Amino acid sequence: MSGAALIFGVSGQDGAYLARLLLERGFAVHGTSRDREMAGFGNLTRLGIRERVALHSAVPSDFRSVLQVISAVRPVRIFNLAAQSSVGLSFDQPVETLDSIIGGTLNILEAMRILGLPARFYNASSSECFGNTDDGPADEQTPFRPRSPYGVGKAAAFWAVANYRESYDLFACSGILFNHESPLRPARFVTQKIVRGAADIAEGKASRLRLGALEIARDWGWAPEYVDAMARMLDRDQPEDFVIATGELHTLEDFVDRAFAYFSLNWRDHVEIDPELKRPSDIQVSVGNPARAARLLDWRAETTMPAIVRNLLDAEMVRRRDGKD
Amino acid sequence: MRKVALITGVTGQDGAYLAELLLSKGYIVHGVKRRASSFNTGRIEHLYHDPHEKEIKFFLHYGDLTDATNLIRLVQEVQPTEIYNLAAQSHVQVSFETPEYTANSDGIGTLRLLEAIRILGLDKTARFYQASTSELYGKVQETPQRETTPFYPRSPYAAAKLYAYWITVNYREAYGLHASNGILFNHEGPTRGETFVTRKITRAVAAIEAGVQQELFLGNLDAKRDWGHARDYVEGMWRIVQQEVPDDYVLATGETRSVREFVELAFAHVGRPIEWRGSGVDEVGFETATGTPRVRIDPRYFRPTEVDLLLGDPSKAHAKLGWRHTTTFPELVREMVSSDIRLLAAERAGQPR
Repeated sequence: MSGAALIFGVSGQDGAYLARLLLERGFAVHGTSRDREMAGFGNLTRLGIRERVALHSAVPSDFRSVLQVISAVRPVRIFNLAAQSSVGLSFDQPVETLDSIIGGTLNILEAMRILGLPARFYNASSSECFGNTDDGPADEQTPFRPRSPYGVGKAAAFWAVANYRESYDLFACSGILFNHESPLRPARFVTQKIVRGAADIAEGKASRLRLGALEIARDWGWAPEYVDAMARMLDRDQPEDFVIATGELHTLEDFVDRAFAYFSLNWRDHVEIDPELKRPSDIQVSVGNPARAARLLDWRAETTMPAIVRNLLDAEMVRRRDGKD
Repeated sequence: MRKVALITGVTGQDGAYLAELLLSKGYIVHGVKRRASSFNTGRIEHLYHDPHEKEIKFFLHYGDLTDATNLIRLVQEVQPTEIYNLAAQSHVQVSFETPEYTANSDGIGTLRLLEAIRILGLDKTARFYQASTSELYGKVQETPQRETTPFYPRSPYAAAKLYAYWITVNYREAYGLHASNGILFNHEGPTRGETFVTRKITRAVAAIEAGVQQELFLGNLDAKRDWGHARDYVEGMWRIVQQEVPDDYVLATGETRSVREFVELAFAHVGRPIEWRGSGVDEVGFETATGTPRVRIDPRYFRPTEVDLLLGDPSKAHAKLGWRHTTTFPELVREMVSSDIRLLAAERAGQPR
């Protein structure tokens, strides 16, 4: 494979893993962040690829910057992973969340139209589009019922991508990814909060960990595997949307239990439930059906819940030993 | 009296110094930071504690100047008595690449904050400080520049800051807000962003001293700036806000120095004086003792439109605020170089930064 791949949002978890994967596959990898001069690019550094990715400043909601970077790079693959990515923060910052998700997606689609670029486009959609999956694992036919400003934005962006594909014959598709974790998640995400909290308690640096709802259940996958599904979607002959998930459901309590058990601790001795940490409307159950991805992309999640907790904690202990952020 | 400050852009150089200053003056400080995938709170980590501890004086919130609803909610929750708007896309070069976003956050973002004060009815109780900049003078209309000098912005960044300056003045005059501008000339320090020219030089000198870098590439060596220390300037910001009557002030040293002089002092501080040979883009700075080339010109660092000699006249701030800079130019350069030498040594020893 050759040519340039452009990743909007390269400084995030998925951007960094995807950049590494595309470098391995022979692409010239370009990535954007809102401010190349200020962003730390710590995730790229951590994966040892900082020097191999060409970095650009682009704000997806700023059309000029999107057009400029696409016309400069002339990519054959475009991945839009840039956006406000925290469901919790989207309740406090709804306008910026929607601007970054919907405005960013539309600006990239419009730039592709205007430039007449034969690039293939992947847009990061999300299981948050489904809301609660009460009727069983969600697949590509399940209707959306989002329950957060973040989910509303991702649902609108999903339909914008489908609309541009059908109206203008663009190679554009969405990956509806369920939760996917890694050590590169920022500390504000609940999985990292639990991992770091349990480690702090084990090391005697803290005595309590405050969490919101423990009864919620999620389908947790491993981010490095999920970026492979993204790449596979653009390697097909037809642009189509896919659900990417493990198909396994676990409660947050189960996650917490395993994290504390890693240190031979009982979570019940250390965790406090703080109702203030609950979201205005939380999703109770979120699980996906990845059958179509298995059939057409030959993609399957290898790492599932118990291993995910162990991997996250192993990485956290290495991080602490090396004193790196 | 209740003293509660809200600082936007608290993760930046000035935000961190200002938070520290206000905490030392007994304020409760609420800082606002923008979402980011990368770790960016290194400058304020020492101020931060778990919000569940008691007697906490420093709080950190996520916020974004492009989201009015978010700003209104923050101001409503915090009920600040002083608001310092230091948040901005502040890199001149990046503003040429993201002009619309720069206008949105730096220009209209200021309007959103001013409107938040009005909408919440805090116009009689909250004072507002706007971080204006010497970049407003751009293609300078007189030298030195003072509060009455006409502006001539030369970048999307400066044009956005011009809107922010005037909308601050306008809200003061139209609605009686206690809103002031500080027109700050360049102010640096050990925590300056790594791509700003001063920090780029001091980091390079530290790396050359440690033997891990050979050469340093710079743009226009003869660009002249009025450089002070950020620590002094945040004191000026605070004094502006404490005035009975809101007004606009230039904060500057009143001395101008070239990038070239900064380079010379920085290298001299580690005992490696530099001498220059050649001219234009071919000019090279050699280490006098060994003849090793250390500084070269890379035209890619030239700006599309360069600003001329920036030199501030701080007499109004001297007279009315009793403020003047205390750190001299050589002291500033020495502090930055020494700090980068320590940082690099710690980094190479595998310690966290």
